[in-house]
Amino acid sequence: MQRTIGGREFAFDEEGFFNEFDDWTEEAFEILAHEGGLSLSTEQHRQVVRFLRDFYAYNGRAPLNNQLRKGTGMSLLELEALFPGGLKNGARRLAGLPNPKTCS
Amino acid sequence: MKKIRLRVNGTWREVIVDTETVLLDLLREDLRLTGAKQSCDRKGQCGACTVIVNSEAVRSCLTPVVDLEDADVITVEGLGTPDNPHLIQEAFVLAGAIQCGFCTPGMIMATQVLLDANSEPTTGQIKQALRRNLCRCTGYTKIIEAVKLAGRFLRGEISPDAVRPKAAQGMLGVSHPRPSALAKACGTAYFTADYQIKGALELAVLRSTVPHARIVSIDASQAKTMPGVAGVVTAADIKGTNILKYLVADRPVLCKDRVRYIGDPILAVAADTRQQAEAALEKVKVHLDPLPALSSPEAAMTDTALQLHAELPNICFDQPQIKGDAEAALPSSAAVIEARFKTQINHQAPLEPEATIAYWETDEEGGGDDQLVIIGRSINIHYHLGMLQSALGWENMRYIEAYSGGQFGIKVDVISEGIAGAAAIHFKRPVRYIPGLAESMLMTSKRHAFDMRVKLAADRQGNLTAYCNDFLVDNGAYHSIGHVVAHRALLMLSGSYHIPNIQARGRQVYTNNPWGSAARGAGPPQANFALECAMDMLAEKLGMDPFEFRLRNSLKPGQTKSTGRVVQEWPFPELMEAMRPHYQRAVKEAAANRSGKVKRGVGLGTGAFGIGMPGDTSVAAVEIDPDGGVSVYAAAADPGEGNDSMLTQLTAEFMGISLDRVRLHTRDTGNTAASGPAAGSRVTYMIGNALINALEQLKTAMQETGAKTSEELEAAGRPKRYVGRKKNEDVGPLDPKTGQGPSFESQVHAVQMVELEVDSESGKVTILKMTTAVDAGPVINPQNLTGQLEGGMDMGVGFALREEYIAGKIKDWVTFKFPTIRDSFDMEIIVKETPRPKGPRGATGVGEMCMVPTAPAVINAIKNATGVWICDLPATPEKIKAALSAAG
Repeated sequence: MQRTIGGREFAFDEEGFFNEFDDWTEEAFEILAHEGGLSLSTEQHRQVVRFLRDFYAYNGRAPLNNQLRKGTGMSLLELEALFPGGLKNGARRLAGLPNPKTCS
Repeated sequence: MKKIRLRVNGTWREVIVDTETVLLDLLREDLRLTGAKQSCDRKGQCGACTVIVNSEAVRSCLTPVVDLEDADVITVEGLGTPDNPHLIQEAFVLAGAIQCGFCTPGMIMATQVLLDANSEPTTGQIKQALRRNLCRCTGYTKIIEAVKLAGRFLRGEISPDAVRPKAAQGMLGVSHPRPSALAKACGTAYFTADYQIKGALELAVLRSTVPHARIVSIDASQAKTMPGVAGVVTAADIKGTNILKYLVADRPVLCKDRVRYIGDPILAVAADTRQQAEAALEKVKVHLDPLPALSSPEAAMTDTALQLHAELPNICFDQPQIKGDAEAALPSSAAVIEARFKTQINHQAPLEPEATIAYWETDEEGGGDDQLVIIGRSINIHYHLGMLQSALGWENMRYIEAYSGGQFGIKVDVISEGIAGAAAIHFKRPVRYIPGLAESMLMTSKRHAFDMRVKLAADRQGNLTAYCNDFLVDNGAYHSIGHVVAHRALLMLSGSYHIPNIQARGRQVYTNNPWGSAARGAGPPQANFALECAMDMLAEKLGMDPFEFRLRNSLKPGQTKSTGRVVQEWPFPELMEAMRPHYQRAVKEAAANRSGKVKRGVGLGTGAFGIGMPGDTSVAAVEIDPDGGVSVYAAAADPGEGNDSMLTQLTAEFMGISLDRVRLHTRDTGNTAASGPAAGSRVTYMIGNALINALEQLKTAMQETGAKTSEELEAAGRPKRYVGRKKNEDVGPLDPKTGQGPSFESQVHAVQMVELEVDSESGKVTILKMTTAVDAGPVINPQNLTGQLEGGMDMGVGFALREEYIAGKIKDWVTFKFPTIRDSFDMEIIVKETPRPKGPRGATGVGEMCMVPTAPAVINAIKNATGVWICDLPATPEKIKAALSAAG
């Protein structure tokens, strides 16, 4: 589905994940984060998002949980508390990591 | 109990066994020799467990160990190793006779016994010797060739080195042996059930015996007291959503309050051994209150039908396709035919039964949950991992794909992994869930049945004018890839042809039948059966030769498919011309063999199979290694097609390195890029393209810096790893009212011709020969391409003539009518290699196309031989006899 955010068209899948990793912008992140209940993004949020995006760009996939912990230096509880919606539907979605592809 | 002394692979062993223990279990469970496989529930039907006992090939699943005092047993591990393989093992590798590899050890052992007695067997003698060994992948052609090649090796006529392709021959278009083939030939490739875990719980699962019922109560109190039982798992014990959502959230890991098909899982018992779990399962009391069963799409579409899923209508997909004006074109056409075609629910029939193991990997650094590792047979590990995380409510999870014994679509969705994972989490212990064949047949997805009402019309000159196809798809109880199947049928509805006016409608309907999902081709084999038979019907009505009629109506570049999309290339007429002399010969021979009770016929089928779905994307990562080799990180499952060959040969060719310096990492969510499913014939086109994109980046960096190793590249300030992408540009759904819109980026084309004989008294059909002309673009590995085509033809014939899955009745390979080597027939393959502008090195894919034209070619040949149409698959002898009788 297509959606306009900040005057720009973005394509999302049915779960609200970016179809394209490269489409993501910081502005879109801020708007989507606000919609998702994150009243104010902090440097901690941006650090997690940066890690997720760097990891995906390097590996072509999202990190496993232990890699996320090591990469951010945060516990899973801390990470989940940071992102309403949790790791997948919160952090990964807002960071613009696409869902794995399937037959659709 | 009895003490038995026997020699296994040259080593004397002393074992104490009961009278029930068979050799297969001794080998696999006690001696850890897992080359011999279990497929047929120890009924002696598959030969995957064949070993040599006292110079005879025996099915170890039928051989009691108590009868083996002083016996000399040789298993595939005793024949040779990857470092020092036996000549027969080398022959199977070099002949391309190994695809999934599950049947291979048994085949090799049966071959050894044959060649010991007769080093130069005829094809007939090979078929006799291997008659008890089943293979689903190869159509047996290359297995017969491998036996003959092994004979030449053993007779000293030629050596493996003389046959083995040389690096100087190049990397593409050469049949370099598959990277995994030797391990499969030597029994060292681990399939899921080959993994043992000390202290693991074994599972047995209670499944519904009725198609539709309310679960009133479950009483497992007695089962929990049985010996060895750790406990039971029900839906209430699962912490996540308990829903395995592929595209639609409708399929429970374990049913909570309702069962919807025969085989729906209700409860799992976990015990120290599988036997204990099964014994305890007998003590579980479940009260099911039967509900009316929706036995067909028609029944599910009535106003009074129960709604199968509370939040989803029974008609779960409804898509028209309208191009031009078929209604106006029909009355003005010179000839119109009208017919109804039906295809059956079918089992994909990989030889390996379902299997999953799950274990816990300790978080050694602390601070987090332990990681649940699932080992199974997924062909989309990253997507399946996400499904399992949500369903089971456990985030810290990893999926590793084992070698898997055949796919054919069945592994597109999660099946046994959900229950195994749920039990591992519930008990916080390792778990093995290794169901038998009968249970695997019950639990797995099936090929959708289609019911198609068709009209096809042409003008006086034989130009197609209109095509109507109103089809119902029996979705079964759960959606899985559901509407994608109907969608794909519409995307490829007009097949090879230019049809200016189309009026179609595809509806997918929930029923209480086994749930449908991917099955080789997934939609087009069913829809193309209707179109290609209708082509012969219309040609007859017009008085035209079906060959010329097809050629005349070929789509041409610049014309549109049923989706309205203009095609840029369409190398189909060239294939027809390549087939022409074969067709002319076959028609002449058939005409001379039609006067007796056994009548010969010739039938054609064609297909244009889409490659690269609209909106599809893929990703692959590559890394330069310290020695200048290249590691590939891409979740490109290879359950037998040869994807490991594709990745290796493309990389070696592009980087100018030897094959042994390409290292594949394709099986673990912990180290692979999320490349997408090994389905839809997409791996070469999508993942191959993503791979090339990554390699281009790496090569550019190396050329710009002059670096030849990872160390040198990093010293030059460049990364050693690159991620490549492939994205199809045509994106979006079909228009919901017209079915016009995005289509595939490319097509693979094929023409098949069947020559067969029909016994007009018994109705028995004997396939004499099948010829396939195919254009899939430049060929990367010829043996892998022809191997897919041969296996596909064999599978297509089974679909046309024999196979049908009936829940509760089809329980093993005999009742399923699995094709044996004695059913195998002559095959000839003609290859054209038109480069596709967007394919990796011009290539596409071929894994599904190979059976798309087969069933209609068979049915058209039966009509040609006998004059009767069988429009309801499978065309069994009973149906043919009845049709002949009705025709007088």
